[in-house]
Amino acid sequence: MKLSQGVELVSLLVLTAMVVAAAMGVVLSPSIVYAAFLLGLVFLGIAGMYLLLNADFVAAAQVLIYVGAVNVLILFAIMLVNRRKVYREVKLGAVRQLVAIAVCVSLFALLLYTNLNTVWLLTPEVTALPSGIVTLGQHFFNEYLLPFELASVLLLVALIGAIILARREFVPDRGEENLELVERPKELVAVKEE
Amino acid sequence: MNFLSAVAVLKTATIVPELIVILTLVVVLIVDLVSGRSNRSLPTLTNLGLTAALGAIVWQWLHPQTSTLAFLGTFDSDRLSLVFRGIIAFSALLTSLISERYLLQAGVALGEYLVILLTATVGGMFLAGANEMVTIFVSLETLSIASYLLSGYTKRDPRSNEAALKYLLIGASSSAIFLYGMSLLYGLSAGETNLLRIAAAIRHPELAVVLAMVFIVAGIAFKLSAVPFHQWTPDVYEGSPTPVVAFLSVGSKAAGFALAVRFLVTVFHTIEPEWHYVFVILTILSMVLGNVVAIAQTSMKRMLAYSSIGQAGFVMLAMIVDTEAGYASMIFYLLVYLFMNMGAFACVILFALRTGTDQISAYSGLYQKDPLLTLCLSICLLSLGGIPPLAGFFGKLYIFWAGWQAGAYGLVILGLVMSVVSIYYYIRVVKQMVVKEPQEMSEAVMRYPQISWVEPGMRPLQVAMVSTLVITSIAGIAANPLFGIVNDAVTGSRFLQASVSPPVIVQSLP
Repeated sequence: MKLSQGVELVSLLVLTAMVVAAAMGVVLSPSIVYAAFLLGLVFLGIAGMYLLLNADFVAAAQVLIYVGAVNVLILFAIMLVNRRKVYREVKLGAVRQLVAIAVCVSLFALLLYTNLNTVWLLTPEVTALPSGIVTLGQHFFNEYLLPFELASVLLLVALIGAIILARREFVPDRGEENLELVERPKELVAVKEE
Repeated sequence: MNFLSAVAVLKTATIVPELIVILTLVVVLIVDLVSGRSNRSLPTLTNLGLTAALGAIVWQWLHPQTSTLAFLGTFDSDRLSLVFRGIIAFSALLTSLISERYLLQAGVALGEYLVILLTATVGGMFLAGANEMVTIFVSLETLSIASYLLSGYTKRDPRSNEAALKYLLIGASSSAIFLYGMSLLYGLSAGETNLLRIAAAIRHPELAVVLAMVFIVAGIAFKLSAVPFHQWTPDVYEGSPTPVVAFLSVGSKAAGFALAVRFLVTVFHTIEPEWHYVFVILTILSMVLGNVVAIAQTSMKRMLAYSSIGQAGFVMLAMIVDTEAGYASMIFYLLVYLFMNMGAFACVILFALRTGTDQISAYSGLYQKDPLLTLCLSICLLSLGGIPPLAGFFGKLYIFWAGWQAGAYGLVILGLVMSVVSIYYYIRVVKQMVVKEPQEMSEAVMRYPQISWVEPGMRPLQVAMVSTLVITSIAGIAANPLFGIVNDAVTGSRFLQASVSPPVIVQSLP
């Protein structure tokens, strides 16, 4: 084993431990703020793994988008909806958790078994170190041109949709609009029919 | 390379229908922005754009290309994809016709609704022809995100919020499962995303291939709302604005079927028995649960939700037969289903607009007050149930015939029993409307308003209702042109031909 391989292995192990520990923390932590910060740690760990795979641009994008934007947004949302609410205990909580654990463990075992027993066709070539951005750009404008352009439509409608959901509907001459389904809810129908 | 030669190499002409829809979308957005809320021309613009896109599809159908792969193998514009794109565009056109009045009465903005509807259409149309995993995923997400937005569009109604949230959460997790399946395929084929190349790279059936298939079927079954992946359907159908439900039950489902056929037949030909087995289970569960639970429903929208699950079961039956006749009957049924289901939803919308309810009990005695609505709804429901002279009967007959020919006796018998069950709950509504004596009339029908078609948006609704009524009534008797189309679609698609003809044809790569 060469030195570089050893370094790679050790960093992979460290990153994996970090990601798994932080992800467990996200799920198990009772405080939602801690969970959000630990989620950021998970994202950082994943970015580190991308770096190990020589995908420097993807790693940078991961840090910028997931840690910088998504995670901060989650924290903002938690700050804005700061409600202290005691959740009721779910019926048969322990049984449910046992079932969930059993399902997860068996799924994990299946995936692990599959991974170890499959002959993966690996391409040994590794992109030269300066950057993968050029390769990425070439792919975008060759075989991935169509999805690349379609993504612009997707982003446009996501933007419009977010604005629709967030804006306050107020028309001066009609006051607040009703914005409801034409069909009345069931209870109202029942009351009117009596 | 200059622009024209790039266009020639990429064969941009194959996506002209989609480009027309995108252009319409942008025009609607800008006109809405410039002219303000009072503009009434937006639905007309949308309808014109969708009609033009349908025209482009017809033109492509009449001028078939020798090689249908475009964008370096990313997009396959064969006749199968053309039929599916046509179905999706047509369902969007009918949806836009039946939406206007509903949205005006609900007091929501028209412009953005139409933009999102058109985006969903674009996503569905690209999905119907996508031949490569990245394109499949991006177009699937375009369709899904637009659908989530549409189902939450009446945002002050808690039912609509609930529908959108449920749809979003379940949809996101099923997308993740689908993506995991695709990542397994990417690894198994040493970094290929093109479906044909993946199929060539996967030579021997392994556990990992089966696992990838299961994950991908789980993702697709969510779009088809096949049982056990159907839990979202009743709540989303009940809470979404009714025109949106109409689009989800036809357009979105057709896109799902196009994806299912192309993906499974192309990639998983080495493990064909396995994916057929999975789909047999989904088919049986969908047919039984969809049709049986529909009996117990009291709300029309919920009943149509369960009935659409059952109908998807019939279409899946046609798909797993895996013969030329099977695929042809599947497309034929989807074509017929487009008109009868859209017609039923148009009637449900009209009834809701005039009475403000969608309870099945409220329909009793409707014949006395509104004969046209009663006639249209009865014909569409009877056709969905499969009563002889109507289009739905011939659709079901074709499916069961194809299944019997291929030896799927058990499934066909189950399908027959379940369509008898479905006739029960469809006829129940018809009986409510027609048979009841005047004194048994429901409160809602008693206060039924004077019939008028002059309010803005009523004419398009009438046009949609009457045209679907006419097509549903005569499409079964004069079915020859439709049979011609579906047979051409199946014979004109290379990957389906490779699948149904027993000797293994070596796929030539683009």
